[in-house]
Amino acid sequence: MGKEYLGEFEELILTMVAALQDDAYGAAITEEIETRLKREVNLSAVHVTLYRLEDKGLIKSSMGGGTNERGGRRKRIYTITSAGMATLKMMKETRLDLWKLVPQLKISGT
Amino acid sequence: MNNDSDFDKLPRWPLRFLSWFCPVEIAEEIEGDLIQKFYRDVKNVGEKAAKRRFIWSAVRFFRPGIILRNTFSYSLINTIMLRNYFTIAFRNVVKNKVFSAINIFGLGIGLAACLLIFQFVSFELSYDTFNEKLDRTYRITNDRFQNGKLIQHGTIMYPTIGPVMAKDYPEIETYTRLMPGGDLNVKVDEKIFKGENAHFADERFFTVFSFPFLAGDRSSALKDRYTMVLTESTAIKYFGVADKNYSSVIGKVVYWGLDPQPYKITAVCSNIPENSHIQFDALVSYATLISPEEHDADDSWTWSDMRHYLVLKPGTDYKALESKFPDFSKRYFQGDKVSGSVEKFYLQPMKDAHLYSDYEYDIARTASGKAVWAMVVVAVFVLLIAWINYINLTTSRALDRAKEVGLRKVMGALKSQLIKQFLFESILISLFAFLVAITIVLISQSSFNDMIGGNLSWWKVFSEMNSSTILILISVMTAGVLLSGFYPAFVLSSYQPVTVLKGKFQRSSRGQFLRKSLVVFQFTSSAALITGTLIVSKQLRFMNDADLGMNIHNTLIVQAPERTAWDSTFIDRVESYKHALAQIKGIASVTTSNRLPGDRLGRSFGIRLSDQPSDAHFTMSNMGVDYNYFDTYGISVVAGRKFLLTDHKVKFEDINTVVLNLNAVKLLGIDNATNAIGKEIVWGNGGRKYTIVGVIKDFHQESLKNTMEPMIFRPNYSTYSPASIKLEKSDIDNSKKIVADVEKIFAKFFPDNAFDYSFLEDKYKRQYRDDNRFGKVISVFTILAIIISCLGLVGLSSYTAVQRTKEIGIRKVLGATLFNIVALLSVDFIKLVLLATLLALPIAHIAMQYWLEGYAYKVVPGILIYIMPVILILLIASFTMSFQVIRTAMTNPSNTLKYE
Repeated sequence: MGKEYLGEFEELILTMVAALQDDAYGAAITEEIETRLKREVNLSAVHVTLYRLEDKGLIKSSMGGGTNERGGRRKRIYTITSAGMATLKMMKETRLDLWKLVPQLKISGT
Repeated sequence: MNNDSDFDKLPRWPLRFLSWFCPVEIAEEIEGDLIQKFYRDVKNVGEKAAKRRFIWSAVRFFRPGIILRNTFSYSLINTIMLRNYFTIAFRNVVKNKVFSAINIFGLGIGLAACLLIFQFVSFELSYDTFNEKLDRTYRITNDRFQNGKLIQHGTIMYPTIGPVMAKDYPEIETYTRLMPGGDLNVKVDEKIFKGENAHFADERFFTVFSFPFLAGDRSSALKDRYTMVLTESTAIKYFGVADKNYSSVIGKVVYWGLDPQPYKITAVCSNIPENSHIQFDALVSYATLISPEEHDADDSWTWSDMRHYLVLKPGTDYKALESKFPDFSKRYFQGDKVSGSVEKFYLQPMKDAHLYSDYEYDIARTASGKAVWAMVVVAVFVLLIAWINYINLTTSRALDRAKEVGLRKVMGALKSQLIKQFLFESILISLFAFLVAITIVLISQSSFNDMIGGNLSWWKVFSEMNSSTILILISVMTAGVLLSGFYPAFVLSSYQPVTVLKGKFQRSSRGQFLRKSLVVFQFTSSAALITGTLIVSKQLRFMNDADLGMNIHNTLIVQAPERTAWDSTFIDRVESYKHALAQIKGIASVTTSNRLPGDRLGRSFGIRLSDQPSDAHFTMSNMGVDYNYFDTYGISVVAGRKFLLTDHKVKFEDINTVVLNLNAVKLLGIDNATNAIGKEIVWGNGGRKYTIVGVIKDFHQESLKNTMEPMIFRPNYSTYSPASIKLEKSDIDNSKKIVADVEKIFAKFFPDNAFDYSFLEDKYKRQYRDDNRFGKVISVFTILAIIISCLGLVGLSSYTAVQRTKEIGIRKVLGATLFNIVALLSVDFIKLVLLATLLALPIAHIAMQYWLEGYAYKVVPGILIYIMPVILILLIASFTMSFQVIRTAMTNPSNTLKYE
């Protein structure tokens, strides 16, 4: 796992997939990022990232149902794999470990 | 939640586009997401923005991550092989650094030369193309014959021609007539402006020409008397127009010269494009020339200063119309009864006006079409030489690559794959060469612009190019790259592995023959170019150094005091002005004349001796000079005397003396200059008589491109005569001081006049501007062609030398001397180069004869000029080869033979 690490956007998408669970597909993830993070993202970027994460084995996908809202087109629902979960966790922990190294006083003081 | 009307709003083409490039496996989900997002956007940001976002999002899916998704297994081989080709190509380029550098630079220089010339040529060919009616617009031209001889080949004619033709021939849609008004000299709000070029043009001018308007009305701008149209920059200069508010100028007035009548500005047009054959800073209405008392400008059959443009109705064959002109001439001119000469009229398509005009009294900005096409030929040759170099060098490396090819084949490479590999290599080298070429172009652009006296850039060229030109350009380039890549690719990939790997491989003699002919071709082109350049530069030197029959060196020209009225005291005033100038230290003498050396003179068509029958007509160019003219310009008198102060008369009618040149004496049929003195000539309306008081030697009033014509001089002072001031010596520092002194005196004598000066020699030499430019361009590109050819020769000779190292080793062991070896290695190439030069000379000779036809006075290329290129080429070729050859000849045979 050592060499495998994720980019910021990849990590964001992976987290979204984990969070949205059964409702994790391209448009929903985009919407969620836009409303929660107030960040403009392009649909194509999300899709490409999802495919890349799938290639890395961090998520897997299956076809879901189509709705009228989508002109009858089916969704591809993504779910996080255990490898994905492990990566996510590891990244969070490393982040926290590093965070602890930051002298807290310096930030809150002065 | 959703409804069908929303679905109808959905633009369909992005989806179609998506399904075109998107792999089927993932198309559905993407479409779904896009549609869902669209509905949401419609609700949140409105339909318009939603549509925009939808299209943008869809287009953004056009990216490798999507397109190549799930087509991976297919693209795998391609990309891997491509990467392999690239790596191999790159390694080969890097491995043979010298070889690749020669290849890349040779091709780069060739391409750069082509790009630069292409810029220039496409600019020259773009003249007048902005005119909407260009393909239907024609200039009328006029040839005049007297005593069976052509005496004038011009664009000027009588003001009646346009209206009468338009009346007689229904195929003429409209016409315009104009007359050059010379330089403006106007007063605007107490300020004097000088030097803007103006024409008199009638109200139809702007229907014929499509110069865009910034203010005013196209059809009526030039209708009334005393109205003027200014160009943008003139409007800014005169009135300080700010913020492009050109309408503010309309209705303002200027005063021209001494005319008390105000000229009203009726319109402003945008500046005349550089690539217009007709140029002006302002137009004055043609109606200004016509008044109830003075209507010659409208109905004269003898005043010929007018230029005419016709627009024919669509579908008219101009040759058919032209064939009706002899009748027209007969009907209105009755032989030479009306105007004193037989008149012939022709039509010239306006698109030919810039490049294919050789007319006298032409206001068009002209250039030599011959020179432009010659440059195209040179560019094509340079490019061919470069490509040939490339083919030559690549195939000559066959032996090096043969083993590689053999091995690849053994390992299972297909011929098509090898071809691909070699093509890839040639494309890579071409790309590098392109980069080199573009760098060269960017670096040399400004010096190239200086050389051709233009302001070219790729931006300009591209923005004005139409799509078909771009297409041709791209396809020529691609074809060149592919063709130059194909031959080596096929040759190299066709080796049989068995022969090659057994070590029996020999270069085929067929390949050698081709290679040799290519070298011959290269050097033929180079030698022809050298010969051409030598002849061109000899002609240019001849013209620049020629004895003109007068001395134009160190002559300062001061413009005429045009804003001074002519009166009985004017001659005295100019006399004291001249006298005051002559007092300045460093000034030798001063004269005034109505024309300067280098100017085209006006012609008089009806001159004869008083004892000749009254229907005799002779044509001479005329000039009005003061009595110091011949002295100041060092023109020698053959018989009789120069003018004296007493020849000048306040009243024009009292002038009764003339001076002729030798050609004029000959034209009148007088056998001897001395016999001409005292004879009377009849000249002008009402049969005015003049006595010939002197005969001068012929001199080159115009450049050596023109013949010396019969000339007649009249003693003359005029408010329009500039002063020629001969300085004692050329001394730049001193001449500045002299100019300052001259200005003071000018201001004292002629207040209210703008002071303007120039040096005559510059002006006179400007006649050779085009020729000098051609000479420079040709020599630069000749040098480039030689460099490229030599690069090829270096590569080829080093290659042969390497091929023959073993042979040389054995020869040396058997006792060959260094000289033997050098001779052995050189003689092959020297033979080729010699053959090339022999082929080149007749080609160059024929081409240069054709070029020299354009000059009335020309050099006769001596035998030396044909021997020199041969020697030069041989020297250059031997020099380039010598390093490689001598190095090979000097290698120790033990080094080359020890592996045997």
